Amino acid sequence: MREKKTLFNYINAFIFIIFAFLIFVPLWKVLVDSVDLKTAYGMRLWPAEFGWDGYASVFRNPTLSRPLLVSVFTTIVGTAVALTLCTMGAYVLIQWNMPGRTFFANMLLFTMIFNGGMIPTFLVLKSLHLTNTLWVVILFPALNVYNLVLMRNFFEGIPASLFESAELDGCSPMQTFLRIVLPMSKAALASIGLMFAVTYWNDYTHYKLYITDSKLYNFQMKLRSIVMGSDLPSAQGNANENTVSNAAIIVIIIPFMILYPFLQKYFVKGVNIGAVKE
Amino acid sequence: MKNKKLFLKMYKYKGFYLMFLPVLVFAIIFFYAPMFGIRFAFTNYNGIKTPDFVGLDNFVRMFGVPSFWKAFFNTIQISVIKLVLTTTIAVVVSILLNEIINIHFKKAVQTIIYLPHFMSWVVTASLFTLILAPTSHGLVNTMLINMGFINENEMIYFLGKESTWRPVYYLINIWKETGWQTVIFMATLAGINTELYEAASIDGAGRWQKMRYITFPALANTILTVFILNLAKVMNLFESAFVLQNDAVLNTANVLETYIYYQTFNSGSIPNYGYTTAVGLFKSLVGCVLVLVCNQWSKKVRDGRGIV
Amino acid sequence: MKKRLMSLLMVAAMTSTMFVGCGSDASKETSATDAASSDAATEAAADEVVCPDEITIMVDATVFTEPNGRDQFIAKLEELTGIAKINVVQPDHDAYYDVVGQTIASGDWPDVMILGPTYLSGYASQGVLWDMTDAWNNSELKVRQTAFGGNVDVEGLMINGQLYGMPATRGNGCVTYLRQSWLDAVGMDVPTTYDEYIEVLRAFKNNDPDGDGQNNTYGASAAGFIGGEAPYINYWPEFYQDAFPSFMTENGAWVDGFNSDAMKAALQRMADAYAEGLIDPASLDQGTKDARTKYFAGEFGAFTYWAGNWAENIYQNLSQNDQDPEIATMAPIAEVGTYINRLSPAWCITSTCENPEGVFKYFIETMQDGADTQFLWTYGVEGVHWSTAAETLYADTDSPKEYAQGEFHGCDNLENPGTQYTKAHIDPKLALVELANDPGALSETAKASADLFTANCRNAEMVPSTQEMTDYNGALTTLKNTLIAKVVMGEMTVDEAYAEYESNPEGLAYSQAIVDSLNK
Repeated sequence: MREKKTLFNYINAFIFIIFAFLIFVPLWKVLVDSVDLKTAYGMRLWPAEFGWDGYASVFRNPTLSRPLLVSVFTTIVGTAVALTLCTMGAYVLIQWNMPGRTFFANMLLFTMIFNGGMIPTFLVLKSLHLTNTLWVVILFPALNVYNLVLMRNFFEGIPASLFESAELDGCSPMQTFLRIVLPMSKAALASIGLMFAVTYWNDYTHYKLYITDSKLYNFQMKLRSIVMGSDLPSAQGNANENTVSNAAIIVIIIPFMILYPFLQKYFVKGVNIGAVKE
Repeated sequence: MKNKKLFLKMYKYKGFYLMFLPVLVFAIIFFYAPMFGIRFAFTNYNGIKTPDFVGLDNFVRMFGVPSFWKAFFNTIQISVIKLVLTTTIAVVVSILLNEIINIHFKKAVQTIIYLPHFMSWVVTASLFTLILAPTSHGLVNTMLINMGFINENEMIYFLGKESTWRPVYYLINIWKETGWQTVIFMATLAGINTELYEAASIDGAGRWQKMRYITFPALANTILTVFILNLAKVMNLFESAFVLQNDAVLNTANVLETYIYYQTFNSGSIPNYGYTTAVGLFKSLVGCVLVLVCNQWSKKVRDGRGIV
Repeated sequence: MKKRLMSLLMVAAMTSTMFVGCGSDASKETSATDAASSDAATEAAADEVVCPDEITIMVDATVFTEPNGRDQFIAKLEELTGIAKINVVQPDHDAYYDVVGQTIASGDWPDVMILGPTYLSGYASQGVLWDMTDAWNNSELKVRQTAFGGNVDVEGLMINGQLYGMPATRGNGCVTYLRQSWLDAVGMDVPTTYDEYIEVLRAFKNNDPDGDGQNNTYGASAAGFIGGEAPYINYWPEFYQDAFPSFMTENGAWVDGFNSDAMKAALQRMADAYAEGLIDPASLDQGTKDARTKYFAGEFGAFTYWAGNWAENIYQNLSQNDQDPEIATMAPIAEVGTYINRLSPAWCITSTCENPEGVFKYFIETMQDGADTQFLWTYGVEGVHWSTAAETLYADTDSPKEYAQGEFHGCDNLENPGTQYTKAHIDPKLALVELANDPGALSETAKASADLFTANCRNAEMVPSTQEMTDYNGALTTLKNTLIAKVVMGEMTVDEAYAEYESNPEGLAYSQAIVDSLNK
C-alpha cells in the first residue's frame, strides 16, 4: 500500500534528520580520530592529517584472524543454541492449560532475579569441566530468560485458531512449532536472534572470567585490549595509540552496520501475516 | 481420581514437557546449581577458609550505615527514571519511524541511531567526558558560549556537579540505547495485521486515529513486558553509572553496585564475599518485590495474564 | 656420552614425577593450616633441596602473553632452570584478581602466583602463602641483592618481619615531566621549589607557551585528584608533598595521614591551584589514557607519570604529533624531597606447593641470578624477542632501523608489529640484582628518567590486612576521595570538609577503628 506524502511526513522526516544528526555527532568524532594521524584531544570536524594507518595496524595485527574465527564460530553456534532454547521454552509457556506451566514460568523468572554470585558460579562451571573451553561461552549465556519472555510475548500474538486447526490436522507439538509458530514469527526471530548474536559477538565478561587460554579469546577481547591500551609502563606502548584505538572502535561496530539493513526487511509491516498465507 | 485426571492431562502435554526439558536442564545447571552460594550471605567468607557463620551480621552492618541507604535510593531513582525515559522515547521513535515512507531513509536512520549501542561504556564515557568538558574542548560549553548563554568563566562542569550529573546521565543513556530498544518495538509493529489499517482507512480514520487505536495498543503488550522485565534488573545498574561518575558527584551518582565496588576495591584487602553476597541477596529481594507488584498490576490491566 | 647422561636424567626425572604424581592429590587436600607443620618437617631436610619437576604458575600480562612468544619463553626457561614442566595460567589482564580469587576459592591452587601488595598481605594473613623468610635469608639471592642495591624493596614487602613474596624488580614510580619547549617559550628554568613550580604552571597557563595565540593550555593534568590505589599521591607529588591520605607509620605507630595538618595544607594548595585554573579541571573525571592523549596533543605542560620506559613512549608520541619532543625530567622539588617508589608485585609460593624450597631455589632465585636466567626474564628469547643479527627493521617505512652484526636490539613485536620489544618481565633499570653482560637496550631518554627516579625516591609502606580494614576502609576511602574532590573544586572549604569527616559515622570513627586494629 503506497501512502501519499503529507505535511506530516515531511515534518517527521525532518525530526529524524535532526535526531539522527545528534546521535551521529559523537560517532563522527570517533570516525575522524580513526583516520587522523595526529593525536587530537578536542573535536575536529576533519582529520588534520588523513591516513588509514590506524586501520592498517589493526588489520595487520597477525594475531587477529584466530580470534575472528572464534567469534564467528561462537556467535553462530551460540545464537543457534540460544534461539532453540528460547523459542521452545516460549512455545511451551503459551500452553496456558498445561499443568505446571505457571511453576515453570516462575521458576525461569526467579533465575532472572536471584543468582548465586561469582565464586559459586565459577565452582559449578569448573566442576562441569566447562572452564577454559569454548562451551562455557556458548552454553552459559544461551538461556536468557529476558529474551525468552519477549519471545513468548510475540508468540502470544499468533491467533489461537491456527493452533486448533493444526491440532485437528494431527500435528504433534513439535510439528506445530516448526510449521506454524516459527514461520509466523520472522520479525521476532530476526530481532531476538539479533540480540543473541550481539550478546555473543560482544561478549568479553565470560571470556575474561572463565577462559585463561588466550588461544580461545574472541575478537572482542582482542580489540578491547587494543582500545584500552595498557597503563603498564610496558614495551607494547603503541605508536599513536589514539588513532589505532579509535580505528578498533569502528572495527567493532562495522559488522552490525552491515548486518542491520539486511535484517530490517523482517521489520516491515505485515511480514508475519504474509508468511502464513504462502 | 483427581490424580488420574491430572496425569491424563499431563500425558496429553507430554510433547511439550519434552520440549521444555532442555530449558529446564540449562536453568538447573547454570542458575540453580550456583544458588548454594546464597548461604554465604550469612557468613564471613573470603574465598579461602570455610565460611564463618555470622547470622545476620552482614545485613546489620549493611543497613546500619547512611551511605548504603543513599546508594539504595539513588539506585531506585536513577534506574527507574532512566527506564521510563528510555522506554518512552524508544516507543515514540518506533511509532514515528514506522510512519516514514522512504524505505532507504528509514533504514539509514534506524541504522545510525542503533550504532551507539555497540560502543562500550568505557569508550562512551571518555567521549562524553570530552564533549561535556568545562574547557575549550567541550563542544557543549563552547556552543553555549558562542550562542551567548554563558561567558568563558561560567563554563558548566556537567559531569562534575551534583545538580547536572543526573540529567546528563539520562541523556547519554538515551543517546546510547534508544536505537537499540526500538529493535524490539519495530519487530512488534511488523506483526500488526495490515488489514486493520486498511479497514480503518475505509472507515475514514486519520493517521492519528490509526496510531492511537491500532499501533499503540499493539505495542502496549510489548511495552509492558519490556518494562517489567527491566524492573527485575534495576538494582543491577553498574557499568553506565560507574564509568560516568567521579569522586565529586558520588552523593547523587553512587548506586548500589558501584557502592559495593568501592567497598571492595578501596578497602585495600581481599574482599569479604559474605558481605557482597548479602548485598546481592538484598538487591534480588527488592527486584523481586518490584516485579511481583508490577506483574500483579499488569494482570489487572491484561485480563489475568502476567508477563510470564 | 652426553646423550646417555641426558637419557638417564630423563628417566630419573620421569620416575620421580610418577612418585610425586601419586602423592600430589593427597597433599593438595591438606588445608592451608596444615602447611605450617609440613614446613617443620621439610626444614630438617633443608640441605638437600631438590628441583621440582612440574610446577604451575599463575601470572598476569607482565609475563609474555601467548601471542608474544610465551611458549618459546617457557621452553627456554625450562631448559635453564631444569624444571621439566612449567605450566602457565595467564588470565586476562582486566580480570586477573577475579580469576585469582576464584582459583583460590576452588582449592586448586597453583604453585606460584604473582600478587600485588594488597593481595599479598590479604592472602598471607589467610595462610594461602608459604613463608619464604628463611629461604630468602639463607639464599645466595639475598647476597646478590644486598651487593647491588640493598634490600629495601624486599624488606618493604615484609609483613611483621615475614616475607611471603619476592619482588622481581623495584616498584617504580612517577616523576614529573616538563615540556622543554614550553619552558623555553616562557623563559623559565626547571623549578626546584614549590613557588617556582607554581610560577611555571602559571606561565604555562597564561603566557601561551604553545604560541598559537589562544589561551587554551593548562599547567598540569592527571587522572583524578587522588590516585585510586597505593601510593595514592603519586600523580600530584608537588601538591601533596609530605601529606599522605591513608595509613602510615609515624614514630613506630600506625596513624591515618588524612587526619593531619599536612593533609589540610595539601588540600588548600590544590584548591588554590584549581581555582586559579592551573590544574586542568577535567582531571576530576578523565582516565590515565585521556591524560596521556592530552599531553601528546599539547594541552598541558607538566605531567607526572611513570619513570623509565614511559619517558621514551612520551618522546615517541610527541615526535609523531610534530610536537617538540624534548622533555625535562624534573627532580623532586625541595618540599617533595623524594618521589615514591610503589610496592612491587611479588612472586609468591602457595602453601599447598609440595616442594616450596625447590620452587624458591630453582624458580624464584634463578629469576635474579645475574646471569642467563635473569637475562631471559629481562630481555626474552634470542631470535624471538631480541637479536644481535645484522638486519634492517621497518625497511618499508619512513623510519627504518638498521642494526649491524652484533648490535643488540629488540625484535619486532609479534602481537603489535611496528613496535620493538624492549624488555620482558624484568625492567633492566629496575632490577634488584646486577645483570652481567647487560647490553643496555634502554634508550637514553628512558635511562635518564629511570636514573633520576632511582636517585630520588623512597619506598611506599606495606599496610597489613585486618578485619577492620576489610570492613571499613572501603567506605572510609570513598568518603575521603569525595571530600578531596569537593575541596579541590571549591565546593567546600578545608574546614567544612573536615567537619563533615568528623561527624560522618563512616569518617573519623572508621579511621580510628582501623588505626586501633593496626596498632594491636
